[in-house]
Amino acid sequence: MGYYLRKLAFYLTALWAAVTLNFVIPRMLPGNPVDILMAKLQQRGGSVDPAARTAYETLLGTGGKESFATEYLAYLGNLLRGELGVSVSAFPAKVSDVIGDALPWTVVLVGLATLISFLLGVGLGAVVGWKRGTWLDSLVPATTVLSAVPYFWLALILVAALSSGLGWFPLNGGYDVVLDPGWDPEFIGSAIYHGTLPALTIVISSIGGWLLGMRNMMVSAMSEDYVLTARAKGLTDSRIMVRYAARNAVLPSVAGFAISLGFVVSGSIVTEQVFSYPGIGSKLLQAVQNNDYALMQGIFLVITIAVLGANLVVDLLYGLIDARTRDRSTVS
Amino acid sequence: MTWSGKLVTGLGLAALIVLFGLFGPLFTGDPATIRDIGLTPPGGEHLLGTTLTGQDVLAQLAHATRGSLWIGVLVGVMATVLSGVFGIVGAYAGGVVDEAFSLFSNVMLVIPGLPLVIVVAGFVPADQRGTWTISLVLAITGWAAAARVLRAQTLSLRNRDYVAAARVSGERTWRVICVEILPNLLPLLASQFVFAVVLAILSEAGLSFLGLGAANSSTLGTMLYYAQNGFALQREAWWWFVPPGLIIALFGGALALINFSIDEIINPKLRDRARRKRDVVAATAEVAPAEPGAVLTVRNLNVVYQGDNPVHAVKDVSLTLRRGEILGLAGESGCGKTTLAYAINRLHRPPAEVTSGSVTFEDVDVLALGPEELREFRWVRLSMVFQGAMNSLNPVTPIRAQLQDVLRTHRPGMSTPDRELRCAEVLRLVGVDPARLGAYPHELSGGMRQRVMIAMALLLDPQVMIMDEPTTALDVLVQREILNEIKRLRDELGFAVVFITHDLPLLLELSDRIAVMRDGEVVEYADAEDLYLRPQHPYTRELLASFPSLTGEPGALTR
Repeated sequence: MGYYLRKLAFYLTALWAAVTLNFVIPRMLPGNPVDILMAKLQQRGGSVDPAARTAYETLLGTGGKESFATEYLAYLGNLLRGELGVSVSAFPAKVSDVIGDALPWTVVLVGLATLISFLLGVGLGAVVGWKRGTWLDSLVPATTVLSAVPYFWLALILVAALSSGLGWFPLNGGYDVVLDPGWDPEFIGSAIYHGTLPALTIVISSIGGWLLGMRNMMVSAMSEDYVLTARAKGLTDSRIMVRYAARNAVLPSVAGFAISLGFVVSGSIVTEQVFSYPGIGSKLLQAVQNNDYALMQGIFLVITIAVLGANLVVDLLYGLIDARTRDRSTVS
Repeated sequence: MTWSGKLVTGLGLAALIVLFGLFGPLFTGDPATIRDIGLTPPGGEHLLGTTLTGQDVLAQLAHATRGSLWIGVLVGVMATVLSGVFGIVGAYAGGVVDEAFSLFSNVMLVIPGLPLVIVVAGFVPADQRGTWTISLVLAITGWAAAARVLRAQTLSLRNRDYVAAARVSGERTWRVICVEILPNLLPLLASQFVFAVVLAILSEAGLSFLGLGAANSSTLGTMLYYAQNGFALQREAWWWFVPPGLIIALFGGALALINFSIDEIINPKLRDRARRKRDVVAATAEVAPAEPGAVLTVRNLNVVYQGDNPVHAVKDVSLTLRRGEILGLAGESGCGKTTLAYAINRLHRPPAEVTSGSVTFEDVDVLALGPEELREFRWVRLSMVFQGAMNSLNPVTPIRAQLQDVLRTHRPGMSTPDRELRCAEVLRLVGVDPARLGAYPHELSGGMRQRVMIAMALLLDPQVMIMDEPTTALDVLVQREILNEIKRLRDELGFAVVFITHDLPLLLELSDRIAVMRDGEVVEYADAEDLYLRPQHPYTRELLASFPSLTGEPGALTR
């Protein structure tokens, strides 16, 4: 099987595992989520007809009325049709609509922040490794401490200092609420203005890991024979650094992207909450606080799919930047 | 900071925080006592001030640190056990079990942890969320990365001889794992444990801050939760909000520093090193009256590896390379022949230093060249072929890019089609099909890679080529072909060669003159035929005697 096929198969397996986990968790844990949801629905003046109950039961479990297999098949069927149920915290909106509204905010914020952090961290790490023995070395201990700072704590400190204190940035939100969401320059400007501080939080907290990993790999790569050959060839320093040392040193950072992305996503959820950002992380917490189980599950699935998708893209990219991977796949 | 400085700082900080969590609560009194002195700034009676309800922040901090450390240790232990089971046992068992365990670890690794924890915490009613429940969930979502690392390490250990020996001798599986494998994994397990503890403390803080932590627990996260809900920052009560986060950051930073210095101890390459200002110290700028016809003249060259015990690797070496000549440099490994070759091109790396002597290339004083002049000198006039072509070629770019690099840098005016033509031409010279230009190094055989290296060295028509054991890693037939190639090219193109090897018989056949090196000194320097027929130095005789002749008579080579 080729490298790409194997990767695809792996991520499909992971997706299936996540979907199944999502099915099993509410059935295994204590509590009776369906009853809680129905009670909530009633409070909100929703219909308490048997159809609504059946929909929730498919999602969360019938409590033994039907066999596991039947429930599982019905659940998978609903997922394939994109039916994730009705949200009680945003009643009468459907879960899929709530997610659809929140998702773009998170994808843009977390996606951009991760990309900036990766590029900056890897770039700085390459330079720090290349210039080893200069004052740049002192960046290394500083960044280790920075990467151990809790995201939300840093976020709140930044808000206190830059928003409350200096008034440079808004306190919270994703855009100026007097504006109507749309693709006009005023709204986009407002969204960028509101997104800067959350993005800054994510970048500051996650950059240390990239920097450190890249720096260490760079130091190792610099003592490789191909770098010596490049020096003997009389190439310019910048060319040796970029095309020979960094080009090889970056591979482990890309290969370890999955692990790092997990940290960033986790941190982003909490960061969104601090900034009351209209993204999927805030919605997840809103769902948890309101026992909106259907929304909770839907969001977990969407986050998982997004993370799996991002990892798949990075893995495919890895195949492109390291030819050895593509050819080795037949062996391992 | 040196690695030991980092280690001491890290250990000291971590120890302070642990001691504070262990013993702090004994001295600080009841953290829950409510007084009517809300939000008192730090000072006198309350060293870190008070909370909104007048509780002592220092007392709360001590208890919260203890709570966070407890959860960290719980999760650390559970996650390490899980990663051990799935990483070590799987890799040791091999076959289907390994496949399944490894797939499971990888799947758990790519499913994002915190969202899963939040969902689970959301389903479990708040009154049933105890410290153990939260710890278990954090452990289940946090072991996979460590398992992957352990698996890789176990796989390599599993194939070591002593493990294989234990298995063949019929020891039980669990005994082999516990006695032969686990002790070797201990450093790795320790560092994974440390990471798991930090990750758990961070994740728990996040969960508690969101109000999803363990019920009735007191951790740094819950403290931050109350501080946030008491609008600590809005009321400028920084003493309430800053310390808990700082403890988390410092603890994480301290453990990261410890891990960092352990890395540096294991891998000396990573250690801090003062940047060397010069690679050449006190070279005598004597322009040697070069012998007529000499292209490269080395006079009294000394190279020292500076350090606590300086090693004098090249001692007063003088050599002359004539135009079109093949000069053999023979000697055992470690005799300084490679160091000498690198020093000629000033490629020697710190801590090696040229302490005195001169290297003259026609009219160029090589040791006096500035960095930019040196760069322009390299490869144009003197190129090199290194030993082990696999590692000398950049593994991630096709050989075309590595050949063209040279032309791009040294012949900036050359057009793209001309570059391509020149690359194809040199490949043809060494007998490699130009169609292989697009190939990556790993797609070529060892002999092909070595030929590509030689082709690369020919690109700019240099006057001198230094070849450092270019054929050692190859089998005899390929070696023979490449040697013939080198001779033919020398005859056709007229460059001079410094050929370095430990293989004296090979040099006798190939070289015009031979220098025998021992412990950094040239002990004998003569025409190949003279050296063979009338070796002067006892070491040369010894070397010649150590190679059997084709007739099988030991020492026959010396006659």
